[in-house]
Amino acid sequence: MPSNSKVGAKLSEQATLTARLMLYVLMAIVLMAMDHRGQYVPRVRAVAVTVMEPVYHLVEWPVLALREVYGFFQGTQSLRRDNEKLQARLLEQKGALQRLDAMTQENTRLRALVDGAAGQQFEFQFAEMVEVDLDPFSHKVMINAGSKRGIEAGQAVIDGSGVMGQVEDVHLHLAAVRLISDPNHALPVQINRTGLRTVAFGTGNTSALSLPTVPREADVRVGDLLVTSGLGDRFPNGYPVATVASIDRQEGQTFATVQATPLAALDRGREVLLIKALPQPLPMEDTGAESADSNLADEEGDGGTEEGSEELADEAGDESAPGAEPEGDPEAKPQADPQAEPESSDAEPSTSEEGQQP
Amino acid sequence: MSQRDRLLPVLITLVIAMVLTVVPLPALLLPMRPYWVALVLIFWCLETQGLISLGSAFLIGLSLDILTGSLLGMHALSLVILVYLVTRFRARLRFFPPWQQALSVLALLLNDRIIVLWIISLRGDTFPLATFWLSPIVGTVLWPWIFLLLDRYRSLARHRSV
Repeated sequence: MPSNSKVGAKLSEQATLTARLMLYVLMAIVLMAMDHRGQYVPRVRAVAVTVMEPVYHLVEWPVLALREVYGFFQGTQSLRRDNEKLQARLLEQKGALQRLDAMTQENTRLRALVDGAAGQQFEFQFAEMVEVDLDPFSHKVMINAGSKRGIEAGQAVIDGSGVMGQVEDVHLHLAAVRLISDPNHALPVQINRTGLRTVAFGTGNTSALSLPTVPREADVRVGDLLVTSGLGDRFPNGYPVATVASIDRQEGQTFATVQATPLAALDRGREVLLIKALPQPLPMEDTGAESADSNLADEEGDGGTEEGSEELADEAGDESAPGAEPEGDPEAKPQADPQAEPESSDAEPSTSEEGQQP
Repeated sequence: MSQRDRLLPVLITLVIAMVLTVVPLPALLLPMRPYWVALVLIFWCLETQGLISLGSAFLIGLSLDILTGSLLGMHALSLVILVYLVTRFRARLRFFPPWQQALSVLALLLNDRIIVLWIISLRGDTFPLATFWLSPIVGTVLWPWIFLLLDRYRSLARHRSV
């Protein structure tokens, strides 16, 4: 019967279509799982983005052209006003920097006096965010500097007011930056007032970070400034990260629930600075530590953020354990990086560290 | 018409859709950005027979994932399911009156959002705001115009190649 065979053919056609759907759905799910766990896929992605680079430039071009036109028509009056304002601000900041310069020198002298590791020298590279909107759930931004300008994976990215994130994949003229608000991102921080070290985790929300490893009795107040602690060797110490927004101390819990608001404009910034540690000619042991650090950073950069965050969480557990070990003793902490320990313990006042131990 | 002549307009419109996907918008309009690539794919699925296979939808989704930096496979999954549904019900969808077609596009886009929601919750991200559901509505409102525009472009392209 012709009609019957026709129906049969149609049915089998639908069956193959469904089978192929199943196959592709399965492939997509496997890919997503691999990407989520950071296996193999990041490397493939890094290559593939290079192919996609022209699209970004295509998108950015009209935006840049519009800005050019706007700049052309911006009156001399407003330009002059802007100029005056900027001059005034420059002067203000110069004044502050003069003092900072003196303090840096004093700091180096004192460090030399106590024979500690010298503070690292840093170089800043300016970059702008590429005017593209990425997936709103990915917590990544593109910047217009890539391997051509010497950008490396793992470099810290800051803006005028605080830490933004770290470089994840580097392409030819572009680099993807993972923001600190990513749920898989962990940032070793310390409370500026007390020196208490902890870890700030992203929450998936650009206006909140969570600090799950602060002891309940710890001296934390709303409004406290969090700065990078320099542990983990990814972010240099002392950069502002966030201010504490809320603290919830529940009875019977070991840790307080602390939320913090990032200082950097994670969702609307444009200009960013990339921090690069300069290799410095210093005594033998220091240079050795230096190169070991950079190697470590490279390896971590390949591994993806997730493993990094777990490692950091471990470190944080060690740090917040009250009175576990004397400060600056490298043997006492087997899994923490021995090079990082003396430097960071030097960097903070030890008296306040004792003050906050419960 | 050769295969290449048939594919060229599809590719051009897809690239335009991808550019529109990442073009910067003011923060207020951001949640209203329609799923351009899906709309274009729905059009070509309806209008051409067997040109958009599940495999090509998968590849288009992967390139969209790379472009937007989302989880690799997220857009691939959503577009494969979308193309499957359109191919399956193509005969019916094609002859719907415009408003009914727009409604089925709304259903397709809402279904897609549910898939995205599922992936987001699996990843442990924060739950999106209510504005998350604006995009399919905007896509539905735009659909008749996109349809007319693409149809016009298609007939122009066909005339040129003949």
